[in-house]
Amino acid sequence: MIRYTHYKLLVLAVPLLMVAGCSKKFLEIDPQGQLTEVQALRDPEAANQLVGGVYNTLYLGGFDNSTVGFQWAILGDVASDDSDKGSTPSDYDAGGAGDVDNFRPNPANGIYNNIWNGHYLGIARANKAIDILNSSTIETTAKNRLLGEARFLRGFYYFNLVRAFGGVPKVVRVPEPAEVNSDEFQTRASVADIYAVILEDLQFAVDNLSVKGTAGTQLGRATKGAAQSYLAKVYMYQKNWQKTLELTQGVINSNQYTLVPNYNLVFREKAVSGVGGANNSESIFEVQTGLNVAENAVSPLYSNGQGPRGRGGWNDLGFGFNSPSADLAGFYEPGDTRRNATIIFINPTVAGRDNGTYLWDGFRLPSQDSVENPRYNYKAYHSPLLESGQLTSNKDTKPKNIRLMRYAEVLLMYAEAQAMLGNAAEATAKLNMVRSRANLPASTGTQANIWRERRAELAMEHDRFFDLVRQGRAGTVLRAHGKPFVDGRNEVFPIPNAQRDLSGGRLTQNNGY
Amino acid sequence: MKSNSTPNKDAGTWRLNFLFFFFTLTLCSSVLFGQNTSFLVTGKVTSDSGNALGGVSVQVKGTARGTSTDATGNYGISASETSVLVFSSIGYTTQEVPVAGKQVINVTLNASSGQLEQVVVVGYGTQRKRDVTGSVASVSGAEIAKQPVLTAAQAIQGKVAGVQILTSGDPNSSPTVRIRGVGTMLGGAAPLYVVDGVITDDIRNINSADITSMDILKDASATAIYGMRAANGVLLITTKKGRTGKMVVAYDGLVGVKEVARLVNMAGSNQYANYVNEASIYYGSGDSLIRGAQLAAGGNTDWYDVILKKSLQQNHNVSISGGSESINYFLSAGYVGDGGVIKTNDFERFTLRSNNEYKLSRMLRLSTLVSYSRTNLRDVDLGVFDIAYRAAPYVPAKVGELYGNTSLSNNISNPLLNLEKLNNSSMGNRLQGTFSGEYKPIPWLTLRTSYGVDLNFYRNSTYRYRYTNTGANNIFLTSGGNQLVNRSQLALQADNSNKWVWDNTATITKVIGAHNFSLLVGATAEEYRFNTTRGTRLDVPENEDQWYLDAGVPASATNANSGDRWARNSYLSRLNYSFNNRYLLTATYRADATSRFPSQNRWGYFPSIGLGWNISREDFMAGQNLFDNLKLRASWGRVGNDQISSNLYNPLATLNVPYYYNGSEYLGISFNQAVDKNLKWETTEEYDLGLEFAILKNKLSGTIDYYHKTTRDALINIFFNGQVLGDIDNQYTTNAANFTNKGVEFSLNWTDRVSKNFDYNLNGNIAFNQNRIIGLNGGQALTSGSVGSQGFTTKSDNGQTIGSFFILQADGIFQNAAEITGSAQPNAQPGDLRYKDLSGPNGKPDGIINDLDRAYSGSYQPKFTFGLNGSVNYAAFDFSFGSYGTSGGKIYNAKKAARSDARDNVETEVAKNRWTPNNPGTNIPRANLNQLPASTYFLESGSFWRINNLTLGYTLPGNLLANRFQRLRVYVTAQNLLTITGYSGFTPEIVSGNNLNAGIEQTIYPTTRTFAFGVNVGL
Repeated sequence: MIRYTHYKLLVLAVPLLMVAGCSKKFLEIDPQGQLTEVQALRDPEAANQLVGGVYNTLYLGGFDNSTVGFQWAILGDVASDDSDKGSTPSDYDAGGAGDVDNFRPNPANGIYNNIWNGHYLGIARANKAIDILNSSTIETTAKNRLLGEARFLRGFYYFNLVRAFGGVPKVVRVPEPAEVNSDEFQTRASVADIYAVILEDLQFAVDNLSVKGTAGTQLGRATKGAAQSYLAKVYMYQKNWQKTLELTQGVINSNQYTLVPNYNLVFREKAVSGVGGANNSESIFEVQTGLNVAENAVSPLYSNGQGPRGRGGWNDLGFGFNSPSADLAGFYEPGDTRRNATIIFINPTVAGRDNGTYLWDGFRLPSQDSVENPRYNYKAYHSPLLESGQLTSNKDTKPKNIRLMRYAEVLLMYAEAQAMLGNAAEATAKLNMVRSRANLPASTGTQANIWRERRAELAMEHDRFFDLVRQGRAGTVLRAHGKPFVDGRNEVFPIPNAQRDLSGGRLTQNNGY
Repeated sequence: MKSNSTPNKDAGTWRLNFLFFFFTLTLCSSVLFGQNTSFLVTGKVTSDSGNALGGVSVQVKGTARGTSTDATGNYGISASETSVLVFSSIGYTTQEVPVAGKQVINVTLNASSGQLEQVVVVGYGTQRKRDVTGSVASVSGAEIAKQPVLTAAQAIQGKVAGVQILTSGDPNSSPTVRIRGVGTMLGGAAPLYVVDGVITDDIRNINSADITSMDILKDASATAIYGMRAANGVLLITTKKGRTGKMVVAYDGLVGVKEVARLVNMAGSNQYANYVNEASIYYGSGDSLIRGAQLAAGGNTDWYDVILKKSLQQNHNVSISGGSESINYFLSAGYVGDGGVIKTNDFERFTLRSNNEYKLSRMLRLSTLVSYSRTNLRDVDLGVFDIAYRAAPYVPAKVGELYGNTSLSNNISNPLLNLEKLNNSSMGNRLQGTFSGEYKPIPWLTLRTSYGVDLNFYRNSTYRYRYTNTGANNIFLTSGGNQLVNRSQLALQADNSNKWVWDNTATITKVIGAHNFSLLVGATAEEYRFNTTRGTRLDVPENEDQWYLDAGVPASATNANSGDRWARNSYLSRLNYSFNNRYLLTATYRADATSRFPSQNRWGYFPSIGLGWNISREDFMAGQNLFDNLKLRASWGRVGNDQISSNLYNPLATLNVPYYYNGSEYLGISFNQAVDKNLKWETTEEYDLGLEFAILKNKLSGTIDYYHKTTRDALINIFFNGQVLGDIDNQYTTNAANFTNKGVEFSLNWTDRVSKNFDYNLNGNIAFNQNRIIGLNGGQALTSGSVGSQGFTTKSDNGQTIGSFFILQADGIFQNAAEITGSAQPNAQPGDLRYKDLSGPNGKPDGIINDLDRAYSGSYQPKFTFGLNGSVNYAAFDFSFGSYGTSGGKIYNAKKAARSDARDNVETEVAKNRWTPNNPGTNIPRANLNQLPASTYFLESGSFWRINNLTLGYTLPGNLLANRFQRLRVYVTAQNLLTITGYSGFTPEIVSGNNLNAGIEQTIYPTTRTFAFGVNVGL
């Protein structure tokens, strides 16, 4: 009997050797709790999520890889005559914003690399979303809308890159890792080639996105109006006035946008009696921030980086960079309401008397002896008293929506196009819409006047330097401002050393760097 | 299977009956017939020196029947007229004695020739040492249990040539083990651990007292049976089993004191003030940094004294073992208490083990091995080691309940406060169990199945106390500064993992004349699942009973949950063949598949072949009496390393990437990391040539091994312009690099039994290894080891050793302005370090000191490691020592190099002997304000020699024990008694960093020294 049991065991033992796991499936284990590319393609919501991932790159900022955040402000404002580096003299000077402010040719400066990286990250995510959308089987209208949004953002990012660096590598598809080191991706395309990409992307967006407020749009997503405005701006940079006109006309005629009556409410978070605040009536495209637990839906340091910097003794608001210049403070016409809405002025210290500055929310800034700089960017201010409070005390993650495109700029682009096309009356009409909102008397719509108006209207919104270059007078203006601007060099920033190294030297350096 | 078997039962049974009959007829009739006329045989086994030998295995040859002698050497076993009894014991020559009708058989065993008859564990089986063709070393459990250390791996330091063990004083830490050099750059470099046949990666749950032996497989002939996981070598642990015979109860206990083995002297307040003031006055603002008033008001704090402590260490083990003809049992319980040497640190481990073996019949054995371990740890933030180095000495550590404010003195946190206001406590529960069955239907066939599980439950709770630096609740002596925690935080983490391994093997053993065959075939499957959950909340009350997430503010809650899972499936085979016991062949082949690699690369194949020649058994050696043993071995094989994270080949989406639409959060996804979709394992090809010998009547034996390992397809990062793919880190990991490890190992062992009362043993080993990268193949040289603003300190490039230091070459000190003029450092001051201007953008010295002037300056990898161990037994006294050393490795003194604030403290030696115009002869630069660049000034020799263990024991003679005890031994032991080293830091053994940046001392747990008293009791 015992023996018999053994034989049965022997019979059983042989198949044991085969091990249950022989089936191939046993080894097919997907990553746990993570979405693979294959699975991402299968999910109908994935396309939408991927596009969400592209929008997310609008938050890239801080001292890290950056799109439209703090470091972009350094390029757009500090390089120009609108503002100075700010903070303490040595802070972020060599190797930081000081190089930009003073046009020190330093291709190793991390700001350039961060801007480059941040924008390409956005472009890569857009490429991925476009790639997957193109092979997706979702309903055509939704698909084209999402494609339109992704291409809008890609075009927008390339527009920033081409303005900052000139020709850059043209990446409009998703290569395999092994392909990445090929010449195709490691050499610079011409400025014209990049502009061609931008025009094609933005035109696609214009053709496929819906007008603000109509079915299929959501507040915060790019709209047809946003695409038209940016396409108009690109054409303006190319001096294609007819196209600029048509596109801005389209925005105006959509009747979706009006100027906020009080300029100082444009940059607030909350509307006052339905006027102004985030996503106000003149907002065409803005970075949508919010406060989640991780506080990662913000452009880090955007508000804090530009916030008033104390000299100790009080709980200050920031690092004090991008300090509006005396030149800007003196630029405004008398009575211009934009001056005090753009610049926080720190009052001199007067012995025996409280000479602090009270901001719109009642926040008191001490007088000059306790504050590092004389002026700060009001447009980047996030009120610690009356606007969304954070869970943590982390000042870097204040939820400040960055206004990227406003109706006022559309009106000014329209006016400039009309002026250039010889329609002075139309130019004057739109110019004066902008001026009257600022409580200024009427003026005439010449290009020179419109350029002046652009500075006053868009000051500290990181457009000035690029606008001066577009206008072809960056050298004249900035040298007059006391900066060592070199024509033929400083119109663009240097190609970052880090990128040139990664390309194995195939990325050529810009002239003069 | 079962339902089908019924109708065919008769036919199947008949066939098997026939087979069984056939084989039993031809091979082992004795077994069949011997059963009928068995009777009891008893006797006593003694050693050649006359002592009773306990624990000697007594086996009826050709059967599974066996017993072992009790502590007095007596045994009893049932045998028949024709039986042959086999007496074997580790360290003694096996003897076979025919029963031939005798009812009493007394045997004297001779100390074995070397350890040739010793059985070594070789992976899925055992082999006689003399039949092994690979490089295999063994350490006995007694040797391991002797040392008051947590893991067995720690205890073999210095015992085995070519096995480098780096230990830390950190309770509950795993030592770093490197067998024959560093075998990978980006993969895991730890060896494979196999406990009682079950593969594991962490042996901290194994009580050293439960270990019978540890076998180390070094070359490919030995390791290739473990295929894809064998490239870093294999450590096999065998735990104790019960022996047939009387129940043995043993207690082993040890109580001792643990302390830091080496200290670094930091400058006192006055020296400190002189130094930083000099720096400031002459080279900085021109003003003093530290005022007399500050010194007068302050203290003179030795910060290391403040954060360090001595603590009690205890080990207690109780075991019960024994067995009968049908069951052997071993049961043990162990406790380790180790308070560590840093304040607030504490560790306890409790282990339980039950190893049982059931002999259901001559043919069938079942066994269950179950172990449970429970650990409680209060961990410390090792960052305090760095800040204690920098903290200003005039700041008092703590007065009453108030702390000194170091953030005001030099912008660092108070190390004592850091320790006391953070409670990082964890509890681990681990259950490991193996159930196995061994079936021998016919004498030449063994079928074995074993199913092992490893369950791990871990829970960590980290509470960060709230404290403030201003106002009524200020906890500092001086308010202000920047060290505060606004809101208390509780972080809870719960991990659990579950692994099972199912091994099935068949072994066929046959002897045909002088031919000895053994063939093993097997299949294994394995699966692992891991899950971790973490939650945090703010404002949890200080009361420990409130340390639950629910007690915190709901709005502050965060949670995270992730996991891992992998599976493996492997087939393995091994053929052992020997002819005349002279010519040996071992061939192994393993096919491994793992879910960690893409389906097209899933299977890896790992062959090996080993040849051995027992020269001393040749006829022509018969006449000589020089060599008692002489054996030559040669092997070749291929092994792999798959220690990478699961699914590294799979492009993964980053989830929960937020954006706001309509004012509410929408969670998107993105792809941020480029991957190589064709990733595979690293392959190491190894040659080994070995010579083993014994001379002078086995008094002197030794082994020499030469090996050459080439690792190909090693993981390395390819740098690329990753933003093109949304890859932020600009690199992806792929199989491209090649490197070699080659070396020579020598072991010598001298054993002499001078008299019955006196024997001694002395053994030494030394191993040389050279590691070289021989091709990056498109991969980028890897820089690593960042120290503050110094940037990287190591670079692993083609032609270099992995983890080589790549830093500026300090070249003396500028003595005067004349030396500075025209040098590459025009801004230097007298007293500054001079660096060699080696290169520039054009490859030539350019008169500028920058990163282009860095040069390779050695690596943390020692040129050779060595051990010297010995023991003496004289009458009732026993004495043993173990020592270990390395030579040629370098250490980067990063805590010194990281000094970055002008007010950071310096070492006494630096303060005392810094360069001044009056002290020009020194090699220490002038008082400095800032962090110096990475240079050889901070690089020191990591060579050392240490007396690891010194033990003196006394065994009470039998007459004193009055028959109450079988054995009673008392001993004193010292662990890490003395280290001789040129290194100025806390320890020349750096257990931190990875393969690329080991050997950087900044925040490491120092090596500890333990003095202990212990007893061994046998009942």
